[in-house]
Amino acid sequence: MDFKFSDREELLRKTIREWAEKEIPPKMEAMEETGEFPVDLIKPMAQMGINGVITPREYGGTGMGHLARVIVLEELGRVCPAMPMAMQVHHMCTYGLNTFGNDEQKKKYLPPLANGETLGVVAVTDPSGGSDVAGMQTSAKREGDKYIINGRKCFITNSHVSDTWIVIAKTGEGKNALSAFIVEKDFPGAKLGRKENKVGLRGANTGELVLQDCEVPAENLLGTEGDGMTVAIRNIVECGRPGMASVGLGILNATLEEAVKFSNERIAYGKPISKLQQIQVYLAEIYADLELARLATYRVGWMVDQGMPVYNESALAKSFSCEAAAKAARRAIEIHGSYGIMKEYAVQRLLRDAIVTIPAGGTAEVAKIVLSRAALSVVG
Amino acid sequence: MVTRMSLSESKLWVFMESRKGGFAEAGLELVAKAMDLARPQGWKVAAVIAGNGVRNLAEEALSYGVDEALVADHPLLEDYCSQSFTKVLAAAVKEGKPEVLLLGATAMGMDLGARLAARLRTGLSAHCVDLELTDKGELLAVVPGWGGNVMAKISCPRTRPQMATVKPGVFDLPLPGEPKGSVIELHPELDEADVTYRTVEVVQEDVKQSGLDTAEVVVAGGWGVGSAENWNLIRDLASSLGGAVGATRPAVDEGWAEERQMIGTSGRTVRPKLYIGVALSGHMHHLVGLKSRGLMIGINKDRNAPLFDHCDLGLVGDYREIIPALIKAVTVYSSR
Amino acid sequence: MRIIVCIKPVPDPKHWNKLGLDSQTKTLIRKGIPSIINPLDKNALEAALVLKERHSGEVIALSMAPPDLSPVIREALAMGADRAVLLSDRAFAGSDTLGTAHVLAEAAKAIGGFDLILCGNETIDGGTAQVSPQIAEFLGIPNLMHVSRIEREQGKSFRIHSGIERGYRVVDIAPPVVLSVVKEINTPRYVTMMNILDAEEKEIKIWSSADLCLTEPCVGLAQSPTQMFDIFLPKQERKAEILDQDAETQANEVAERLHRLGFC
Repeated sequence: MDFKFSDREELLRKTIREWAEKEIPPKMEAMEETGEFPVDLIKPMAQMGINGVITPREYGGTGMGHLARVIVLEELGRVCPAMPMAMQVHHMCTYGLNTFGNDEQKKKYLPPLANGETLGVVAVTDPSGGSDVAGMQTSAKREGDKYIINGRKCFITNSHVSDTWIVIAKTGEGKNALSAFIVEKDFPGAKLGRKENKVGLRGANTGELVLQDCEVPAENLLGTEGDGMTVAIRNIVECGRPGMASVGLGILNATLEEAVKFSNERIAYGKPISKLQQIQVYLAEIYADLELARLATYRVGWMVDQGMPVYNESALAKSFSCEAAAKAARRAIEIHGSYGIMKEYAVQRLLRDAIVTIPAGGTAEVAKIVLSRAALSVVG
Repeated sequence: MVTRMSLSESKLWVFMESRKGGFAEAGLELVAKAMDLARPQGWKVAAVIAGNGVRNLAEEALSYGVDEALVADHPLLEDYCSQSFTKVLAAAVKEGKPEVLLLGATAMGMDLGARLAARLRTGLSAHCVDLELTDKGELLAVVPGWGGNVMAKISCPRTRPQMATVKPGVFDLPLPGEPKGSVIELHPELDEADVTYRTVEVVQEDVKQSGLDTAEVVVAGGWGVGSAENWNLIRDLASSLGGAVGATRPAVDEGWAEERQMIGTSGRTVRPKLYIGVALSGHMHHLVGLKSRGLMIGINKDRNAPLFDHCDLGLVGDYREIIPALIKAVTVYSSR
Repeated sequence: MRIIVCIKPVPDPKHWNKLGLDSQTKTLIRKGIPSIINPLDKNALEAALVLKERHSGEVIALSMAPPDLSPVIREALAMGADRAVLLSDRAFAGSDTLGTAHVLAEAAKAIGGFDLILCGNETIDGGTAQVSPQIAEFLGIPNLMHVSRIEREQGKSFRIHSGIERGYRVVDIAPPVVLSVVKEINTPRYVTMMNILDAEEKEIKIWSSADLCLTEPCVGLAQSPTQMFDIFLPKQERKAEILDQDAETQANEVAERLHRLGFC
């Protein structure tokens, strides 16, 4: 096992960090106030290669891969967790297209997603529940050379800032009931619904997509009829969960840095509180969780790049990283004392950001189901 | 004063940069220090002057107490050019063989000093903040490195002259007196080819205003300022120095300054070269926002304010009197 | 146009608090401090890239550093330099600015055919600002420092803004010339993911002293004309000099000091 990053990966981290530290902070106050995504950063991010990091070069991306993607999202999240929240969902769209799309679909949709012309989403969650994917109500009926889709997708990140939606809808009954469709925002019957007002990750726009007799050309079927569950699950497992885990890494990094900075500067009992053992224990815990979450998440990125299945590893990374982020943020607030609950300090926002990661991309409970199955299949 | 066409007897030379017909202070500052260093050695000190129409500066140089004024006056030295000036000084050094040669670390001095040291194949210490001369005649130059986080003493054991450029503002200006020394004409040999670039124009710029994050000068006020009207003095002082305005939390709460101007734990971190804290107590919250090795000046009525523990220079008094006087004095000096 | 840009890897200031001092051997302990490209060298490289984009040509990154620092040089290639030459040899270690300038000058001669050598005005660690004029001296060509603007004129000469106290000179100069730049000259471009991938195809040639014609005995610690006599970490506290005379006296004293330090 080689635990060293390559020169390419080190340089990638450095350059993304420099970009993020300079370009994102001026937008953060507005993001927090308004809950709007800074759309004027979409093209600059594309120029940096962020939007197309897992899109092959022949379709306009850089094709650097999934481990590179983790590094990119971690560095964006270290500055502002809402950014990788939005971009990881965008990547899910590029991933779905690249993995399940045919050549015409890839040629048409991947380049604009890579070069910053548009953002993407994958819309799975129905009001009937995100965990109960099979129970969704959104339906698609074939009529001649079109599919007519009816339904609503909720809690969709990038809903109001993206042009390309992968929508999962019911085309039948039973085992292969679901299908996946490429829907453009401007297709007849495609509408934007409500915008959510989230308590955290506010700069990542989350809202509702409404499909009212939405006309989707038949050639926009992704894969074949009945592939919908596979598209949804593989996307979540190989792209969505490591993406969320990376958002967690960003929060963990930011939290540790805030906690260290504050405890080195805050004087109590005549010395910085970083000299107090209790504070040191808290910092050690955050540090340990960050390192473990990194290992778990980098591993998933690496394994996906190797073409290895990551069903268990992915659930583990996501649930551990996001849970650890929330725990760390809470600790960081405590380290800040009364300052921690003041809005002018970042740590309260980091806690709110962390809380929002927990149900996103699969609830903690679903992750536990995955892990319990893995545990139960262990033979001594 | 006697004009002599002969070799210099001085062992310690200071280059006295001249501008607009007068000496730059960075050059003058070297003189008193040079004489302090030279005296115990029994060395003579020479001021080196180069330019066009600078002969008349020789007497002023001598009035500061140097033993010799070495003058290189030539029309081709009208505008500074590194190669022509290096040629002239190198020739003088080869003849006079000084032990030590000092220059001010000005825009010109950094260039000329480096080029000259290379031509002479000798050592040069840059931006010294102190100088020592051992009884063996060895120059020890104290230089800051790593942004001021490390201090080194540099020696130049084998080659001569031992050269150093000195950070402006470190040493005191000399006091003028009666000129006692002699002038030596250097007769520089120059032709057009020695001037390797053409100065088309010299543009002087006004002091520019800048934002807090990049400001080289910050004037910060605190609760002691007392009112929005008084806060104008903070703005005016910042303006006169081309600096940015900073504030402590209480000043922001009072509405005298904006949130984005707040310096401190939950506000901005700034790294100015000059910070002036006015009527603020100096508690940790504000001061941790200052990560600078620059000059820190405090103004406070209370001699015991914690602010003064963190300053290089403390002015005890009422800022409402000090600031107007300071603005006036700054304006006077600015025009020099 | 062929432009050589001198790049120096320097210890990352974010990690300078890890700096230690061995007071016995009088050496700095720099373990665990990663290296970055000296910030002003990035400005120099950016200036070179802009000139190349306007007038076509080649940008070569030149650095004197140990071979394990080639990832830092790779970043210069990722910014847009076409190729790099890395000068690595134990014999170079401990060189002061004179020795460094000699080595870099000889490398520039070996590369040959350059119009410009661009450097950052100073490094963040040594901070002497001496290397660029000294390279020019060894090459016998003109130099300008504190450069905030480079324009190429009709024909081949350049119009340069070279800073002075409170302003700048406008200077016309013919190549070849050594220029050292200040940060006001530009904002260095970001390195994108594509740049990183493209840079992996670019060449970093490694030269040792055997590849250069080092005729001057000034290279390496022993031959360096300046020597480290002592090294220490300065005390952190400031001791305030208190002035408590009347306001006008205080003001005059302060203003005079500020004037001499260049603040007014």
